[in-house]
Amino acid sequence: MTSRRMLLALAIAIAAIPMGARADGDKPFAGMTLTVASQNDQFAGVLVKLAPEFQAQTGVTVHVDILSYPELLTKVTADFIGKTRAYDVITTDNVWSGQFAESGYTIDLTDWIKRDAAEIQPADIYPVLMSSLGGYKGKQVAFPFAGYANVLAYRTDLYAKAGLAAPPPSMEDMVADAEKLTDKAHGVYGFVANGQKGPAVAQDWMQYNNQLGGSLLAVDGTPALNSSANVASLTVYKKLFDTAAPPGAVDYDWGGREESFRQGLVANMQTWSVGAAGYGNPEQSKVVGKFAIALAPHGRDVPANYGVGGWGIAINASILPKQQQAAWAYIKWVTSAATQKEMAADGAGGVIRMSTTHDPELLKKFPFYSVIDASFAQGNGEFRPRIPQYPEIQDILGTAVNAVLAGNADPKAALDAAQAKAAKLF
Amino acid sequence: MTFARQRRLFLILMGLPATVYVAAVAGGPVAQGVWYSFFDYNLQRPARRRFVGLDNYAALWADDGTRAAIGNTFAFTIAAVGLEFMCGLVLALLLWRDSRFNRAAVALMLVPVTLTPLVVGLTFRGLLNADFGLLGYYLRTWNFSDHGLLAGRWTALPTLVAIDVWEWTPLVALILLAGLKTVPVELVEAARIDGASGWQRLWSVVLPTMLPAVLLALVLRSMDAFRVFDSVFATTQGGPADATTTLMFQAVKTGLSFFDIGYAEAISNLMIACLAVLAAGFALLIRGANRRLHG
Repeated sequence: MTSRRMLLALAIAIAAIPMGARADGDKPFAGMTLTVASQNDQFAGVLVKLAPEFQAQTGVTVHVDILSYPELLTKVTADFIGKTRAYDVITTDNVWSGQFAESGYTIDLTDWIKRDAAEIQPADIYPVLMSSLGGYKGKQVAFPFAGYANVLAYRTDLYAKAGLAAPPPSMEDMVADAEKLTDKAHGVYGFVANGQKGPAVAQDWMQYNNQLGGSLLAVDGTPALNSSANVASLTVYKKLFDTAAPPGAVDYDWGGREESFRQGLVANMQTWSVGAAGYGNPEQSKVVGKFAIALAPHGRDVPANYGVGGWGIAINASILPKQQQAAWAYIKWVTSAATQKEMAADGAGGVIRMSTTHDPELLKKFPFYSVIDASFAQGNGEFRPRIPQYPEIQDILGTAVNAVLAGNADPKAALDAAQAKAAKLF
Repeated sequence: MTFARQRRLFLILMGLPATVYVAAVAGGPVAQGVWYSFFDYNLQRPARRRFVGLDNYAALWADDGTRAAIGNTFAFTIAAVGLEFMCGLVLALLLWRDSRFNRAAVALMLVPVTLTPLVVGLTFRGLLNADFGLLGYYLRTWNFSDHGLLAGRWTALPTLVAIDVWEWTPLVALILLAGLKTVPVELVEAARIDGASGWQRLWSVVLPTMLPAVLLALVLRSMDAFRVFDSVFATTQGGPADATTTLMFQAVKTGLSFFDIGYAEAISNLMIACLAVLAAGFALLIRGANRRLHG
């Protein structure tokens, strides 16, 4: 009898195995592991924090590998080239879209987005982010994940003390105000931007160039670095550095620039919206209660448009089909309205959905969301050319603009030389 | 078989494992690197790979960034190694006498050597910041530099040399001190009794006797300084303009930012060629010095 009972128990146990599998039908990827290569931005820590939540819902384990910018690009490119499948999901800078679209290293998500539109609610995502954080010539090589707006952070107390209207309504006003607000004897400067050679100065100048009416590409898509509008904007940028910036700004990268604002040295700084929450944190900032965030000013003759940047999230094209589907499930989850709200509340910094910027709870916590909303409504994600040659163009400009700021060249000569180099890339 | 032949065979066998290891680990990649340098090959656009012969090598001199990097690399290497040698020799002579203080000083002196060059670079970047830096602020207010030493066209490279000297002089001093310990005291005493001045004793007796150590210090530091990258990356990113761009920085940027493998390999091969000439020259000098000393 005992052995019969044992056989019966064994039969029931064997029968229960497929039942168990059927019970997991709503978790088709249970037991799988996804490895995410994440840029070391504010969202990275939040991705780590949220991983157990996704695991509880889907049974998928998520490992987040947090990498610096150059490390991220190098590692994922090596992974793509070698087809080593080390990373399933990759956060991608929006300026990489052109390279990825041409190389085919990441999956084109266009059809999947159409198929799952009801679940994704694409109408809730700012159109400028859908196109610029991964869209490129009809392909969607990444899904928008963390959108940043170029905004103006300014000192309300310094403007009030000087009796100037704030925020400056145009770029011309900001330039004039910056010079008026500069009081070198007391260590107060009207303006700050990145001056260090390389991506730092190139990216900051591209913002100012856009708002002053310059453009890096001609209508036919070829480089036009030495156009008269670009030379004029670089002349203004140089003048601001000479007359209104802290002396060390010629060598500032993002860290130095942000620190100068938080330390109360400067009155105006254009910056990505992602850092705005930090200015109100008394542990990091000396300007708590003395600053405001506003739309980035543009030239009086330049149509209103605001720089947009940030990160998409993409799937490695080399991974196996089932792994791709698990990665897509993760992307849909992490970019969903609910998760985006959770991420925003946790300080992830980036925004892609209108439901996030319009959320009353979040607006109370982050009043500058209304500025981000207005920026995205007239956003321009193309002021940095998202073309395959972008890294080289950025480097060429990073050297040329820095040479001008350091006094090694005048704007026209520097941009003429830059144009000659850039033309060879096309 | 004669003793000399046996000895030679023994030495060859002793060196064989290392030779095989280097050939296996480095030989293949170097050969592949030379091969790639003849191609227009970008990892972001792999389908466009095409043979271009020596075009990448011709571009080394045509590209003003790389041309500046060649000059900066040689200037940095000569200045840094020269200063490190002079300062290291002075330190080694000061520490020659064996005393408790000198032993403690040697131990403390090695602290900079233990730091990662990247950390050293970041530390000096902070110190030299013209607005917040402990050194940079005073240098600016005392009118030594307007925008910080690392932002000045003529001061950036000398500042990088100074940072390198700060970090690596102790290592040179230590190697030279080891060489000094091999100089027979009787030899120096005999020279002194014969009426040689301090300078004559140093130049004609001490330095020739410790020449192998001198050359070892120079070859180690020259090869290392020629490949300088970390401090440039952490402090100036090669700027202002191209004032501190070095060959290694240019190669890393070309290879790992632009993924232009063909051109990056051409830069790397130029560096390998320069280092090979440097190493061979020093090896000949060391051999000559050893022969003069030991017959």
